[in-house]
Parts: sequence; C-alpha cells; structure tokens
Amino acid sequence: MKWIIAIPELYTFSAALWFLMLSLVVRPDPRREHITSLLLSALGVVVCLVSVGSTGYLFVKAYRVDFFSQIFKIMLAFGLFLITCLCGEMKDLRERNRHDFYFLLFACTLAMMLLVSADHILAVYLSLELSSYSLYILVALRRDQDFGLEAGIKYFLVGTFASAIMLFGLAVLYATTRTTYLSEAARVLPAMINQPAVILGLLLTLGGFFFKLAIFPFHFWAPDTYQGAMNQVAAYIATASKVAAIAVILRVVALAGQGSAYLVHALGVLSIVSMTLGNLAAIAQKDLKRLLAFSTVAHSGYVLIGILAMNPAGYASAIFYALALLVMKLTMFLVVVKVAFEGRNVQIKELAGLHRRCPLLALALMVSLFSLAGIPPTIGFTGKFLVFVAAMEKGYFTLVLIAMINVVISLYYYLLVIKAAYLLEPEKELPMLYLSPSMKFLTGVLVAVIVGAGLYPRYLLYISETAARALLQG
Amino acid sequence: MHMEYANFPYLSAILMSCVVGLLVIVFIPEERKTLIRRVSAAFSGLTLVLAVYLFFAYDKSLGGLQFVEKVVWIPSLGVQYFNAADGFNLPNLLLTGIVFFTGVLTMWEMETRVKEFYALYFLLVTGVFGLFMSMDLFFIFVWYDVSLFPMYLLIAVWGTTRKEYGAMKLTLYLLAGSALILPAIIYLYTMSGLHTFDIVSLMRAGTFTAEEQEFAFILLFLGFGILAGVWPFHTWSPVGHVAAPHAVSMVHAGVLMKIGAFGVLRVAIMVCPQGWQYWAQLMALLASVGIVYGALVGLRQTDLKYVIGYSSVSHMGVVGLGLSTVTAEGLNGAVFQMFAHGVMTALLFSSVGYIYDRAHTKSIPELGGLSRIMPVASAYFIVAALASMGLPGLANFWGELAVFIAAFRVYPVGGVAAVLALVVTALFMLRVVQRTFYGPRNERYAELSDISFRQGIPRMILVAVLVLLGLYPALLFDMIQTASIPFMSGLPR
Repeated sequence: MKWIIAIPELYTFSAALWFLMLSLVVRPDPRREHITSLLLSALGVVVCLVSVGSTGYLFVKAYRVDFFSQIFKIMLAFGLFLITCLCGEMKDLRERNRHDFYFLLFACTLAMMLLVSADHILAVYLSLELSSYSLYILVALRRDQDFGLEAGIKYFLVGTFASAIMLFGLAVLYATTRTTYLSEAARVLPAMINQPAVILGLLLTLGGFFFKLAIFPFHFWAPDTYQGAMNQVAAYIATASKVAAIAVILRVVALAGQGSAYLVHALGVLSIVSMTLGNLAAIAQKDLKRLLAFSTVAHSGYVLIGILAMNPAGYASAIFYALALLVMKLTMFLVVVKVAFEGRNVQIKELAGLHRRCPLLALALMVSLFSLAGIPPTIGFTGKFLVFVAAMEKGYFTLVLIAMINVVISLYYYLLVIKAAYLLEPEKELPMLYLSPSMKFLTGVLVAVIVGAGLYPRYLLYISETAARALLQG
Repeated sequence: MHMEYANFPYLSAILMSCVVGLLVIVFIPEERKTLIRRVSAAFSGLTLVLAVYLFFAYDKSLGGLQFVEKVVWIPSLGVQYFNAADGFNLPNLLLTGIVFFTGVLTMWEMETRVKEFYALYFLLVTGVFGLFMSMDLFFIFVWYDVSLFPMYLLIAVWGTTRKEYGAMKLTLYLLAGSALILPAIIYLYTMSGLHTFDIVSLMRAGTFTAEEQEFAFILLFLGFGILAGVWPFHTWSPVGHVAAPHAVSMVHAGVLMKIGAFGVLRVAIMVCPQGWQYWAQLMALLASVGIVYGALVGLRQTDLKYVIGYSSVSHMGVVGLGLSTVTAEGLNGAVFQMFAHGVMTALLFSSVGYIYDRAHTKSIPELGGLSRIMPVASAYFIVAALASMGLPGLANFWGELAVFIAAFRVYPVGGVAAVLALVVTALFMLRVVQRTFYGPRNERYAELSDISFRQGIPRMILVAVLVLLGLYPALLFDMIQTASIPFMSGLPR
C-alpha cells in the first residue's frame, strides 16, 4: 500500500495513457476531447488535494513525497486544469494532433509532478527531460509550420544545451559530495559550501533549471518560443513549467544550508540582470506574447531574490510567488486566448477597444497586469512584498531597491497595454466578444483570487510557510 | 481572531461605504447614467456625513488615538488592520469627505463612460481614506498604491490637454516614490525586530538608532515627498493637474498631494523623529525653493489649470516648510494648510471645470471679461483665488500665518523668502483674476449661461468651509493640537 502516496502521479499517468490509447483507436472529436480533458484534469486537482497530507519515500528513497511537493503538485494540477479550460477552440492545431496534444500535456504535467518530488539526481534529470521533451513537441505542434517549428527547434537546442550543463554540474556535485541523493547532499554540503568545486557544481546544476525558469543567460528561447507556440502552450510554459522550475530550484538551493557569499553574489547578479534585461526588452515589444515572455524573465529575477535569501521566509516567499505567477499569468493568457482571432498571435494594438468589446476581459487584463506589476492589493504585490521582506532580513537593501526600480520600469509597458485596451479605438469596428457563462465565471473567479489573495493572503501565506518548513526538514 | 472595537467602527464604515458604493456602481447597467450619479452622490455623501460626525465626536480633551479598530490581519508577518483617528488625520478625513462629495457633484454633467469613471473615482478615494486612517505601515503602503493606480485611466481616458503624456508621467513619478517607500518600510520592519508594522509600537523611543532613522527618513521623505509635490520632484504635478478631468484634479490637488505630506508626517516624522531633526534643514531648503519656484513659474502661465498647478507646488511648499520647523506650531500650521489648500484648490478646479465645460478653453488670453457673462461662476473662482493669496478672513490665511510664524523663529532666511514668494503668488493670482474675469468681454462667449443654483451647490459648500475656518480657525487648530503638542513634547531633545 505504500504506493498510495503516489496517487497524483499514478492518476496523471493513467490520464496521459488514456489519451495515448484514444489516439490509437478513434478519430478525434474536438468537443468530446475537450470535455474529457476537462473532467480528467478537474479530477486531477481533486486527487492532488486529497493526497496533500501524504508523506514518505518510494524507489529506495529516490522519490520523496512531502508537504512541499504535494503543494506544488496541487499547483501543477490546477494549472493543467485551467489550461484545459482554455483549450475549447484550437484553430491552429491540426485535427489529427488533438489526442497527441492532450497526451503531451498530461505527460508533461506528470513529469513535473515527478520533478518536484525527485530526491535522486537521476530522477531529477529524467523527469526534467521528460517534461522538456513533451514541451518541445507541444511547441512544434502549431499548424503554422515555420513559426511553430522554428520555435520548437530553438527551444530544443537551448534546452539540450542547458541539460548538458546541468549534467556536468550534477557530476561535479557527485564528485564532491559522493552521493547521488539530494537529501544526503543536504547533510554534507553546508560544511563544504565554500569550496569552489561545490559552488561551480551548484551553479551549473541550477543552470539547467534556470533554462526552465528563463533566467539570464538561459532566457534566449523564451520570446521566440512564446511567439511561435500556440497560445495555450505558451500559457502552459509560462505557468506550470515555471512553477515546477521554482520548486526544483528551491530543492537544490536548500541544499546549501545557510549558503555562501559566492553563491549569493552569483545568484544576485543573475537576478539583477534578469529583471533589468527582461523589463527593458519588454518595453520594445509589439507582440503581447513576446512582451509576456520578457516579463517572465523579469519575474524570474524577482523570484530569485526570495530564493537567494536562503532563509525560511525567502523559501516561503518563492513558493507564494510561484502561486501568484500561476494565477496572474493564467489570467493574462486567458485574455490572450479569448482575444486572439482564430488562435493567432495578439499584437498589443489589437487590444484596442477591448473595454467595449468585452468589459470583463478588459477588467481581467487590467487586474492581471497590475498584479504582474506588483501593485497592491493583488497577489503579485503580496508575492513581491514577501520576497523583499525575506531579502531585507538578510540585509540585501540594494537588491530590494533595484527590484523596486524595476517595478517602476515594468509599470511603463504594462500601462501601455492597459492603455491599448482602455483608450485606443480599433481602426475598423470589431465585433463584440462574447464569453460563455462558464468562461465568465472562470474569469470572475480568477480576478477575485488575484484581488482576494492580495487583500487577505493569510492562509495562502500559512500554506507557503508550512511548505517551506517541509522543504527544510531533511 | 482578535478584535478590539471602541464602539461602532466608524472608520471602517467610511471605507465600506466607498467599497459598497463601488460595487453597487459596478453592477448598475452602463446606460442608467442618472442612477449611477445618484448612487455616487449618496455614497460619497455618506462618507462626508461620517467624516463630519467623527470630527465632532472626537474627544479633544482626551486626545490621543480614538475610534481604534484593530484586527490581526496576517499574523506571520505581524500585519494588523489598524485604524485610528487623531488630531492629525481627522482634518484630512474631513477634507477627503468634502472633496469627494463635491467632486461627484462637479462631474454631474459628464457623459462619457460614466460608470467606469465613478467606479475608478470611488476606488481612488477608498485608497485615500484608507491611507489617512491607517496606523499600520503595510496598509499605508497598500492604500497609497490603491489611490494611485486608478489615476492613470482617470486621466488618460477622461482628461484633456496632453492627457496620455500627463497620465504616464504622473503614474511613473508616483510609483517611483513608492519604489523608495516600500524598501524603507521593510527596512524599518526588519530593523525594529518587533515583527510588526504597527506605527504606535514602532514610534516608541529607542526602537531605532539615530543612523537607522536618518537613513529611513530620507527615503520616506523623498518617496512621499514626490506625491506632495516637493521641489524638484514636482514636475508631474502641474502636468497631471492640467491633464486630469475636473473632479480628478480636485481630488488630486485637493487630497492626493496631502497624502504625500501626510505620509511624511505620519510615517517619516512620527516613526523616525531623529531623522526628522537631522534632515530638517534640507526639508526647509526644498520647501522654500518650491514656494518661490512655484510662484515664479506660475506667473508665466497662460493656461488656467497650469496656474493652479504651479500655485499648488508653491502652497505645498508652505506645508513642507511647516513640517521642517520641528515645532508644534509648524505642525499645526502645516496640517491646517493641508486642509485649507485642499478646499481652496478643489474650489479652483471646480470653478475652472465649469468655465472649461462651457467655453472649451482654459487659456487666459482667450477668456476675458467673464464676470460680465457668468458673474456667479466667476465669483466662486475669485473667492478661491483670494483664499490662495492668503487673504485674512479665509482659511488659508491662518495656515500660512502659523507656518510663517514658526518658520521665522527657526529659519529667518527661508521664512522671508517664503513671504516674498507669497507676494508673487498674490500678484499672479490677481493678474489671472483680472485678465480672465475683468477687462473687455469676449463676444465669442457672450451666449454662455451662468452657473445655476444646483450646479453651484458643490462650490457653495467649499466656499462655506473656507469662510467658516477663516472666521473660526480654532475649530481646526484645537483639533490638530491634540496630536501635535503631545507628539512634540514626547520627542527627545
């Protein structure tokens, strides 16, 4: 019965298998597939919620289930569910690829669930690769051949490069710690944290995950991939994939105990460069998804501040931030998916007149943008606030100040998007946008969550803190 | 959950009437414009009634914090929902109520996107009220930003001259202010080691060393000072005022700039008094320059709203000068001036709003002789302009007098400069009045109708307040003293 702790993974695995079977047996039927995937992913959230309390080890301790991993699995399942909600219409996906699409989506979620629980470096590597490979294909699935393929190949090349670096890092870590278990390494690493080889190993290992999180200098794939991938897939990369990356980076950084000045400096520089570069580059963007890609780079920089504080408050803030990213980016992509004409990309100027075409979407856009910019009372502000408090406890005043300056820069381009939606008028009159009642409900709930969690973050914060404690218990 | 209510939570009731009003407006269909206006007037009137009640129900003989509401909000961070009223914030709450209500009435005839306008306007005022009543640094920051971000759309959608530029400039400047405030607040939080954002706890002597106070003070002063229009960070303010729609200009110059000055008082000065003493001379210098500069630049303007915008910079300089004296008299004068300037500017913008809606210009040379065409509307402007000159008998006189008496003792040079600048203000206000309202009348506007009684109501309220306080300033001074004197006597010398 010890397998019962892996219920979420087993469930997602069978859901993925289901779609694989379907693709062999029947012809795709968009409506049926959509409803099936909705039901399966909704049930997945329930399964993850039910198994939130389970703890234990599997596979000769290579697989660790604790509160930390379970919380992230809930986030992943939740993200998957919301993405499937957006998959009602996929005009830029070939009919015959529909099963593959869902199969890869579930497989990728499965891989990320495995990733957040992996405690053995081989398990980390394998699950990371499984998720990456699913994503490579998902990106390339877009009907528009050149765009999608180009994005997929770019993603693939940078990804394999990052994997190679990470493998090298893991090898160095093994050479210094003589163990392949992360929890084992956590015991020996703090004593030898100031050795150059250890820091090198840690940084190289982190490089593989920084690729996922789109941290400088591993962010080059992000804008092209977001632009080239289907809107739904870009949404998935921007949310679930980031959440998983934050989880695994937390696992690795937590190994370092109190950390060393070198590591903090290195991460601090990466964080500053990511925020600044992401925000400055975003200003020039005309494609909404490219803008979001660069804003993701900037957000990864903010998260990194919380992580490099290397204190419980910092880890809790990063977990909270992962949740915040999930909610606000999904809201943002909900707008993108709904505004996009036949699944094409959305230019910022195409948002013109949105406040008349669909006031609710315009509101959702505004709230999620203010949340991304970190304006209270939104979940994005609370996330940033927690990150800054954690960094300040360690005395990183300059880092906080630079981050705040970045917030001001970012507000500039977010305001330009808001301006497009609320102020500009379209060149030719566009039809009204109608949302189905369920979509209206979903949008309303997301907006309420963004504002509600900003006003009253007490319980979400409590969960993040508990998860951070679970992470630190070796 | 731990709660502590003295009695009925009046302060939260003010916030709730804003929030409920906002929600009601959101759910009224777009087309029912009159209903939206009535609902707005009702809820904003309610906040005014509550604010007036609080002002008179406050027990001045007792002093201190009253109407305290405390709810533990985020225990693991030590954040509390902590509202209280004292002699410093009650005048400002009253001011907000007055300007809010009269602003709704001033915008009665506006027809474009009415629903969105009032919804954003309510959101803006919610933040303003919240900031004035909060005693918790976390909430102060939250309210600060809540009151800022509706500004962008309010100006960019409903504004006039160079509205997009003005809106963007204003938002980025003020957000830059918050980029200094937030690190300073978190710095104080971590340095205190008390695990609380509660201002009363952080105010206790010995919580911070002198160096920590000096460091945090300058960040907070500059951060909030941007919003208060402190020279040389004032440039957003005339541009923003000119671009904004009338009611937003009213709230903006009337109340929002006070948030900045109030933030300096409540957070920077009260939590870091030693930093205050350390940086006082810099504050005085910037304030004096602001007074003189605002007056001189105002002299050169030809746009009515620019004139008011620069005179605001000058008048807010008076507030800054009062704060920089480190005396109880200076604080009294500063808070009085905040109130008086708020009412006066609201009246100015409200009157200009009427003129602009009819004549479609704010350019002084193009107007002219208006007092023969619309005598009543002109009278409102002229009363406000006289108040702005510091004419005895109107409220502003007392605020400026109190500040200058305090400033003369502490900074003779700055005080003299400020009084001279006041002469310039008087000069340019007189010039504006003369060129706009007297002289040969412009036949182009001869057909314009004068302000009706109903349209005049908001202006009458504002004039009444100015006159009342001009004749009976003790009403406000007695209130402010209940906070300023205990605070100053508690300071280490």
